[in-house]
Amino acid sequence: MNYWLIFWTASLVIAAVSFAVITGIVMVKGYKDLRSMFNRLAEQRTHDHE
Amino acid sequence: MHFAAIDWFIVVVYLISSVAVGLLGKKYIGKVSDYLVAGRELGTYAGIATLAATEIGTITFMYNGELGYKYGFAAFAAALISGLVMIVVGRTGLVIERFRALRLMTVPEYFERKYSRGLRLLAGILVATGGILNMGVFLKIEGEFLTIVSGIDSRYLVAVMTAILLLELVYTVVGGMMAVVITDFIQYVLLSVATILVSIYAVYHAGWDNIVAKISSTMGSSGFDPIQNPKFGITFLIWQVLLWFSIHTCWQTTAMRVFSTKSPEISKRVMTWTGFIYLGRGMLPMLWGAAALTLFGVGAIDNGVPLPVVNGQTLAPIDAMPAMLASMLGPGVKGVVVAGMLAATMSVNSSYLLGWSAVISQDIILPIREQMGKPALSSRSQILVNRLANLFVGLFLMFWGLYYTPPGAVYLYLNITGTIYLAGTFICVIGGLYWKRANTLGGYLAMLMGAAGAIIPFFFLHWSENITGFCAFGLAAFGLVLGSLMGKRAPTSLAGAT
Repeated sequence: MNYWLIFWTASLVIAAVSFAVITGIVMVKGYKDLRSMFNRLAEQRTHDHE
Repeated sequence: MHFAAIDWFIVVVYLISSVAVGLLGKKYIGKVSDYLVAGRELGTYAGIATLAATEIGTITFMYNGELGYKYGFAAFAAALISGLVMIVVGRTGLVIERFRALRLMTVPEYFERKYSRGLRLLAGILVATGGILNMGVFLKIEGEFLTIVSGIDSRYLVAVMTAILLLELVYTVVGGMMAVVITDFIQYVLLSVATILVSIYAVYHAGWDNIVAKISSTMGSSGFDPIQNPKFGITFLIWQVLLWFSIHTCWQTTAMRVFSTKSPEISKRVMTWTGFIYLGRGMLPMLWGAAALTLFGVGAIDNGVPLPVVNGQTLAPIDAMPAMLASMLGPGVKGVVVAGMLAATMSVNSSYLLGWSAVISQDIILPIREQMGKPALSSRSQILVNRLANLFVGLFLMFWGLYYTPPGAVYLYLNITGTIYLAGTFICVIGGLYWKRANTLGGYLAMLMGAAGAIIPFFFLHWSENITGFCAFGLAAFGLVLGSLMGKRAPTSLAGAT
């Protein structure tokens, strides 16, 4: 039981830290990603209309 | 403790801004591929946000919380498997890399490319049926969560569910995947903040040592060891590995994110990093469930665990976690957490509405029209059909959600309803992509035998979920091999472009 507890504690810490760190990165870079995506789409639409 | 004015303010501001931002997506809709797969322009980070938001909902928190309450740390095994399998799929590109290269919009579309239009239609019917039944329990459980945490009278559950669904429908119908991607980003940020906040509060209030001691005294070693736990065991763990490989590759809403990325390489990156989020997606709410057991698990023993008792009232295990949130979160924080949970709810439901309605329109209605000799629809008309299908799915969910209560643990019900189509679909996709002999007859047998293998054992013979799962995947594989060896060799070769 002790081995399982150590294993699950370590897994939980890795899961929680990964969750928090990736969330932080995605918050910053995801916004830039969306902006460039919509810029590209807007350009495409302008190009299609021309 | 019920909602304070500040909590209502936070929730209302979130709802208004979320719907308003979602409606902005409409201006980027030109072609049907914009509506369904965001013009295939999704980058890595926005991809991670939308994939994570799509698969993390209040329903996810509820069923994982229930697993944590009932099975303690042993339940973590399911979360660990889901995350690790996703990382493996991302690193290897299994199925997803080729799917993206084929420029698909739905999973059943692959069936016409590799097998036949008839098989695409059958796959579409099974995918839509399994998916909508799967989603059918979401609203009721999400409504339960919101009424418990906010203190709204349970008589208003139907009204709460209706309001949630209508708000999601507004921007999903109008803006399609564009609206979903934008709102998913905001919703992902909010739900992640709520997840982290609740995790800190849960451990602080229940105490880590107390949680460990409660699980130990209630469940003994089976609360820690998934192999020894009678609900799990080796068969469950192997079934979970198989199931999660099929979900991460063939689940329509997940696959739509893969189809929406800019390239196969980006789809692999999105899948790999979201795999790490999946570890927390499962384990953190399970921890909340275990904390709720520690704080409220003092009632009569039911299936080996004490039922939760809150303010003298005995609840079902699934309701223990929201009851814990209602009692431990203060004004302001509760508003942020409920807004986060609403964000989770709306991101999942809007993506699922779009996913299943896409299958109904693209893989059922359009192939039937073509079969009847009618001319192909324009992009604009296809978008209209998609929007109508979206409304249909929304209305169906409303009535099914009110009528049906799933038997047993919600997580397992969701697994089985998903297996109805996943078993056949996964086997056909793997066979189609990696086995030259796979042919249409084998595809039909795999789809039908996989569905029968899930429905008959679970709903009529009342076998356990593990055995049902093995039965479905086993029969689907047997059907594909048998049909492919009996029938003609498939001549199709699939070339894809990015």
